[in-house]
Amino acid sequence: MIPVAAAATVAANANEPGRSADLAPAHISAHGITVDFTLGGHRQRVLENIDLSVPKGSLVSLIGPSGCGKSTLLKVLSGLITPDSGDVSVDGVRPQEAAKTRKIGLVFQDATLLPWKNAIENAAFLLATADETIKPSDAMSRAAAMLRLVGLEGAEKKGPSQLSGGMRQRVAIARALALDPEVLLMDEPFGALDAITREEMRECLLDIWERTGKTVVLVTHSIDEAISLSCEVHVMCTSPARIIETIPIALPYPRTEECHTDPVFLAARARLRSLLIESHNRGQA
Amino acid sequence: MSPVPSTEKLPPTGSVKAGRFDNFLPPAALSVAVLIIWEAAIRLFHIPTFVLPAPTAIVASLIENRAPLAAASKATAIEVLFGFVLAAIVGVVVALVIVRFERFGRALYPLIVLFQNVPKVALAPIVILWFGYDLAPKVVLIVVIAFFPVTIDMMAGLQSVDPSFVSLMRSVGASDGKILMRVRIPHSLPHLIAGLKVAITFSVIGAIVGEFAGANEGLGYVIQFASTQLDTPQIFAALIVVSVLGLLFYYVVEYAERLLVPWAPKFDPVHGNG
Repeated sequence: MIPVAAAATVAANANEPGRSADLAPAHISAHGITVDFTLGGHRQRVLENIDLSVPKGSLVSLIGPSGCGKSTLLKVLSGLITPDSGDVSVDGVRPQEAAKTRKIGLVFQDATLLPWKNAIENAAFLLATADETIKPSDAMSRAAAMLRLVGLEGAEKKGPSQLSGGMRQRVAIARALALDPEVLLMDEPFGALDAITREEMRECLLDIWERTGKTVVLVTHSIDEAISLSCEVHVMCTSPARIIETIPIALPYPRTEECHTDPVFLAARARLRSLLIESHNRGQA
Repeated sequence: MSPVPSTEKLPPTGSVKAGRFDNFLPPAALSVAVLIIWEAAIRLFHIPTFVLPAPTAIVASLIENRAPLAAASKATAIEVLFGFVLAAIVGVVVALVIVRFERFGRALYPLIVLFQNVPKVALAPIVILWFGYDLAPKVVLIVVIAFFPVTIDMMAGLQSVDPSFVSLMRSVGASDGKILMRVRIPHSLPHLIAGLKVAITFSVIGAIVGEFAGANEGLGYVIQFASTQLDTPQIFAALIVVSVLGLLFYYVVEYAERLLVPWAPKFDPVHGNG
């Protein structure tokens, strides 16, 4: 049974500013991940020999050109795809095991809300599915607490069609958080939103992360998003898909608008840009 | 925490009412015009009643034969009701079996499509031969004609679930059965209703075909009997009753749609899909 609003009560100082990523133990680790897809009888390597280590309580980004396998890697971490070789562990167990004990919260680019359920029912839905023993009223009150956490108080009874894109994505985040997962895996969660809403959602995510101390893996193709949110950015490239560089972002939290002009931010941006251009060109060749 | 943005404003309701009246008026005016021209043509060219009766003759027959027509409507309505409900059940079960048991489904589906290409009207004499002259052969005929659109639409609904939903359910360790019950089936309901709308129309056709092939009551029987008597006004009167009956059944299904799947996108024939 999950204590209601447990996530919200996690001490905010769990994420002390400027903490070094390599001090915390790895919460998600992947070693030598290789994934092959068979498309039209043609076997293709999607991920090659990926090593990834995500410290507990950190927020890391995976960035790379389209089709580089970022989403596939996230699916491997969430247990939706079993790699052809290599080991993955989430909170010390295989992803499939972690999924069964509600350790994994997923957020996709589309909010994917059930149209026949309102905001709070959508937020409670996955928890009620995952835990058959939970009382419906407990699931609902937990969902209500998570909707408050994502700033949707007062919109509980609204249907998905009455919510804006940003609000729908907030419901999707609340739905993942309602599971009280160990890790939050997000696949381009703000990719379908307009620029201003995207800014808002970044703030919202940082706020949630600072308050809950969850380990977050964010797939994105926005350089600014990766730098302004993450402790570390893993840069991926295509053919073969692998992580070419890991860039630590040594900016203190909480991060504000001003950090966009910080020399650290600008240096990271310049480095990321050149890496992405390089891997983009390699992909074209 | 950033404030919650307000939702978009809905269009004012006043325009909807005016729109409904505008939608109703043109077809009504056109119908009246056609009826007047029809009546005038019959009188002007002295067309015999057994060839084409005037609208007034049809109405007179309708009033004169109201008791037998009402009895025939009741018989046909019962056939349609039983047949439609059974067709819906068979259609849903077949769709669920095909989707849930993929291997068996792959064997079954082509056979169903093949069977669908047999003209059902041609089956009527065999069904009468097997099941007699009562309710049973009509119900069987209706099921055979009407289950297919239910199966096809239900399958489309079950299979068109966003893969992200399936991923989401799997990410908490949900089984295929649970995904079917909690996501696929509710998601398929608007599609199912669309199939039922087609099925209810087919059911009326099925009942009439069954009555043509062999019956001693029902609107199909009335039409056939009247044609042997060259009582064309009564044929038309029965046709009107069949159409009204079909329309009533159709609107019952549409009403059920509003109750069961209020989230389904509404189709507006004038302004496109809303």
